[in-house]
Amino acid sequence: MPRSLDDTRRHVQVLPERIGAVAGSEFPGHYPGEDHSWNLQKFKENLITSVQRLTPSTIEFDLVGVDASIANALRRVMIAEVPTVAIEEIYVWNNTSIMQDEVLCHRVGLVPLKIDPRSLKYRPSPHSAPHETDTIVFDLSVRCDRRPGVDKSEKDPKKLYYDSNVYTGMMKWSPSGDQSRKYKGKEPKPVDRDILLCKLRPGQQIDLHCFARKGVGMDHAKFSPVATASYRLLPHIILREPIPIEHQQKFQKCFPEGVIVIENDQVVVKNPRKDTVSREVLRHPEFADKVSLNRIRDHFIFNVESTGQYNPEELVPEAIKILLTKISAVEEGLDKLFATEGQVA
Amino acid sequence: MNQPNRIDSWLLQDDEKPLTITEDPKIPNAATILLRKQDHTLGNMIRAQLLLDPTVLFAGYKVPHPLENDIIIKIQTDERSNPADALKRACHLLIRQTVQIKSQFMEQAKNIEMGMGPDQSLATAQTNGYDPYADSSRQGNTIVGGQFRDTNAGGADVYDF
Repeated sequence: MPRSLDDTRRHVQVLPERIGAVAGSEFPGHYPGEDHSWNLQKFKENLITSVQRLTPSTIEFDLVGVDASIANALRRVMIAEVPTVAIEEIYVWNNTSIMQDEVLCHRVGLVPLKIDPRSLKYRPSPHSAPHETDTIVFDLSVRCDRRPGVDKSEKDPKKLYYDSNVYTGMMKWSPSGDQSRKYKGKEPKPVDRDILLCKLRPGQQIDLHCFARKGVGMDHAKFSPVATASYRLLPHIILREPIPIEHQQKFQKCFPEGVIVIENDQVVVKNPRKDTVSREVLRHPEFADKVSLNRIRDHFIFNVESTGQYNPEELVPEAIKILLTKISAVEEGLDKLFATEGQVA
Repeated sequence: MNQPNRIDSWLLQDDEKPLTITEDPKIPNAATILLRKQDHTLGNMIRAQLLLDPTVLFAGYKVPHPLENDIIIKIQTDERSNPADALKRACHLLIRQTVQIKSQFMEQAKNIEMGMGPDQSLATAQTNGYDPYADSSRQGNTIVGGQFRDTNAGGADVYDF
């Protein structure tokens, strides 16, 4: 059975002026007669992952029973180390729009691309020649012209001109080598086709040749596969004494809607997950010692929003895979170190 | 340009070792471990895991310089173990934990894609259904004024589908 939420050792206290008991106390040797060294059996019993909500772009899930360092590592890896493909180099053949070359290129670089990053390799070095296994090429070639026969009084640029707005949907993938076969049915394209890149007027044109490469978020934020990846601790509200009937409405108003309900003239904590832990309730002297606000130290509510390269439910396994390779690298490094030391001795 | 190579911030060079161990000349069973191309992600995780090891007397990590992509971990153990063993053990345990998280998460995600509720597999297999606010271990600790949410009404609110 997972541990009870009322276990005070799991609580991070939310006090009026400060946060109490931030760090856990369950370390080996802290409590006499209790064994708190890590063991797999105990970990397995306490570990819970449960997906709470899944939409095409976001996932909300609970991770219970792990240390904050692991939850944080997961979050950090999702933001900075899960690879994606983004445009890295651009040849500007022609750009007569009012947007400067470098500004336009920066904007194009930030466009999320729907390409499975697992299908590409990293480029061996920044100076190596592009290869079909590590580069995807897009062309953006747009020219704005006056639409013939439009009424003189017309003011709408969309009716007056062809291609006055440049959208990401105008980027054309140009396959090279084996790519057209490799990406059959899942052609590389921008995730959203309606991102405005630039505006043009008659006679202006843009002609870009873009090279997309695989990279990670710690190099540049455009490679990050998540828009947001964050966690918060589960709020836990404890009523110490009954709330008098004349104050119940006021008590309920101290919390976001749905957290507290009044049932049979009694105050009931209905859904603490919705609580923002604003501490409003602690400002009122009549409630100060009737309620205590807490958070559960090892219950993480993750909220992950994908930018479209990965499905949201793929992000966590992918992040863990990368985390595993990171830890294994250290482990293998240790083994190698001992192996060479053995040879010397 | 004197801009450093961007890949160098996170990819090890071929001739670079991932880590080096320097034993402390004065304190027994103490060592400083330099991990190359790592950051807080791994540093904090390894430190936290080492602290759960009963043989470890001290474990700490730091990023010596924000522009260099290395971390150092300092470990002191008692005579039952040595820093390298402790680190090895910590890595091993971390791998087991993350594997566990991954498999449980993927099970969950699969269930949802197949259109089942979120907690099907968990409910039967491991935990009798996880609902943080309907917890059975509450008897004997009745709180006057507000009973918590009742067990039956549980699922509907928490699982926002």
